[in-house]
Amino acid sequence: MSAFWNVVAAETFKLVRKRRTYVLAGLWWLLLPSLALILGRVLVSNFAASFANEAGGVDLAVQTIASPYGIALIGVVGPAYVSPPFYVIVVAALAAVLIGEERSHGMWKTILVAQPSRLAVLAGKLVTAMLVVGVLLGGTLLSGVAFGAAGTLFLPTTFAGDWGGLLRTYLLQWAFTGAIVAFAFLMVHLARNVAVGLILVFFLPGLLETLYTVYATTVGFQPINRFNVFLQGIRLRQVLEDLPTYFFTANVYAPARAPVREVAAAFTAEAATEGLDLAGLLGSNITLERAAIVAGAYALLFLALLTWRFLRADID
Amino acid sequence: MPETPPSAPGRQERLAALGGGVSRARAAAPAGASMATGPPAARAAGTDARASERGPAPLGAAEARMPAIIAHELTKRYGRALAVDRASFEIERGELVGFLGPNGAGKTTTLRMLAGLIRPTSGEGRVLDRRVPGPALRRVGTMIEEPSFYPYMTGRDNLRYAARLHGGVPERRIDEVLDFVKLDRASSKRVKAYSQGMRQRLGLARSLLWSPDVLLLDEPTNGLDPAGIAEIRENLREVAAEGVTVLVSSHILAEIEKLVGRILAIDHGKIVYDGPLDALVQRIDAGAVSFRLRATDGAALLAALRDFGLEPEPDGERGARVSAPAADADALVARLVRAGVDVTEADRTGEDLEGAYLRLIRGDGRPS
Repeated sequence: MSAFWNVVAAETFKLVRKRRTYVLAGLWWLLLPSLALILGRVLVSNFAASFANEAGGVDLAVQTIASPYGIALIGVVGPAYVSPPFYVIVVAALAAVLIGEERSHGMWKTILVAQPSRLAVLAGKLVTAMLVVGVLLGGTLLSGVAFGAAGTLFLPTTFAGDWGGLLRTYLLQWAFTGAIVAFAFLMVHLARNVAVGLILVFFLPGLLETLYTVYATTVGFQPINRFNVFLQGIRLRQVLEDLPTYFFTANVYAPARAPVREVAAAFTAEAATEGLDLAGLLGSNITLERAAIVAGAYALLFLALLTWRFLRADID
Repeated sequence: MPETPPSAPGRQERLAALGGGVSRARAAAPAGASMATGPPAARAAGTDARASERGPAPLGAAEARMPAIIAHELTKRYGRALAVDRASFEIERGELVGFLGPNGAGKTTTLRMLAGLIRPTSGEGRVLDRRVPGPALRRVGTMIEEPSFYPYMTGRDNLRYAARLHGGVPERRIDEVLDFVKLDRASSKRVKAYSQGMRQRLGLARSLLWSPDVLLLDEPTNGLDPAGIAEIRENLREVAAEGVTVLVSSHILAEIEKLVGRILAIDHGKIVYDGPLDALVQRIDAGAVSFRLRATDGAALLAALRDFGLEPEPDGERGARVSAPAADADALVARLVRAGVDVTEADRTGEDLEGAYLRLIRGDGRPS
């Protein structure tokens, strides 16, 4: 056990000495809350006294965007909706430092002599990544509250909000990020090159999912070719049609995307009449329980592959 | 099979216990035993570190009698290429052994296998009586090929990182090893600003950080200027004098000659020689030995050497450099004296080993 904690201590020490850690924290902790406050101020300045606010719509929007609760919520929801998602960017950056850098700087030969237990080294690095993601998410929550509190001084906002639900969202998204950490570590380790590894982390899931979508759209799963006849024969057609609900990106951001479900639900009925799957587009139509199982399965698969490869790898 | 001195009792039994063939044993003779002593404070602090955190229990009596390093039929194959071919040797505790071989001979691969970094295709390596890779590596310091660091960290922070990773290394130990390699003043600079020599010394400092019982060093003087080479050599002598087992590879033959008493030579993955340095030099058949001679009368010295059929080169006003057949080498000075030359100085130069070694790997001068 001490070997594991030694690795955690060493890797934490390294990340503290790494400038990139502070850049990531700065982006997450300062940029989004600042933008939210600026947007809130712009809304108040331009529309608070106008007819648009007769029913209190502008005040509601400012409360949603720039209140302490609103900014903290944006801090966890927003990163799931940028492309590539900010969670992947953060985790890929950590994987580059914790796994990729060891190869590019030739450090494995030092690390694995100082700490010969490869299992402890791998587990320590993974746990360090999760701890850092936790610190970054926790900091996001706190900075959101701090910026929002500052905003109450010059904006018509309050501290109202479902704080318990928000905390749960943060904790769940942190746990789900474990699957992304496992995936990023595996890709960076397999690629044997940090740049190639990062490209794989950013784009491989999206590429595979897009290829599936193209196939499903252009060919579909009707028995019009031998391939689909075969799939029907082995009773896989329905599974393939349901495949998007098992997609990596659809599941690992499920907690962060869940708050959007309510918004989506309000528009879904209307959108459905026009043949538009709004909830599907927003990725918010997967239940958290199911997403947890799928993300957990991904994490286990990636961890098993990573461990198998890492324990056997020759260090050249 | 490699050439080795006569057997020592116990070796065959040990190899038999490993389940394989037998080669001859070595007598333990720490090459640096009579040299300068190490830094006492550093060793004292290191003892604390070892006692608290090295992992495996301190040496028992049985373990203390075992060789520090055992390579038994170590083989590494990459596809069709055979990098190391059934390399077997033993290194006793406290020995300082040179590992010699041309580029691509298999030195680094052998060291990597002993350091647990690559898995042998067959055979096994044991360090401190424990199979590697394994916990015994926590008592091993290594510097494999060019030492690597995190360039964005200072030298001291790189050592702190390694200390945390290993565990149980107090901060004062970092000061001691930095002082030992004379990097204490530069320790606050980022490593990316270090010269090659400073990186080599920092690598040595890191390998000593947890006061290892065994040091595996791969070309530690690579890329250093003569002053840097001398410093590293002195550092290694001090470490060896403290009883640390050192296996040091190099292709700078003169460096090995000045540092070690025993040579392991490898070529094309095979151990081609395992024995005392002197034997390698002295037992070369028909080999040439280089001399640097000085006499009261330089002209008479040159003339006498030419009379012997040699081709001397003047070396200053009263000196000469000459290469003589190994068979005649021991008698050369006596012949000069008999010829009336007043010889004041006669040195065999470091090229002896190189000549012997090149003949060894060419296969035309293997010691009998």
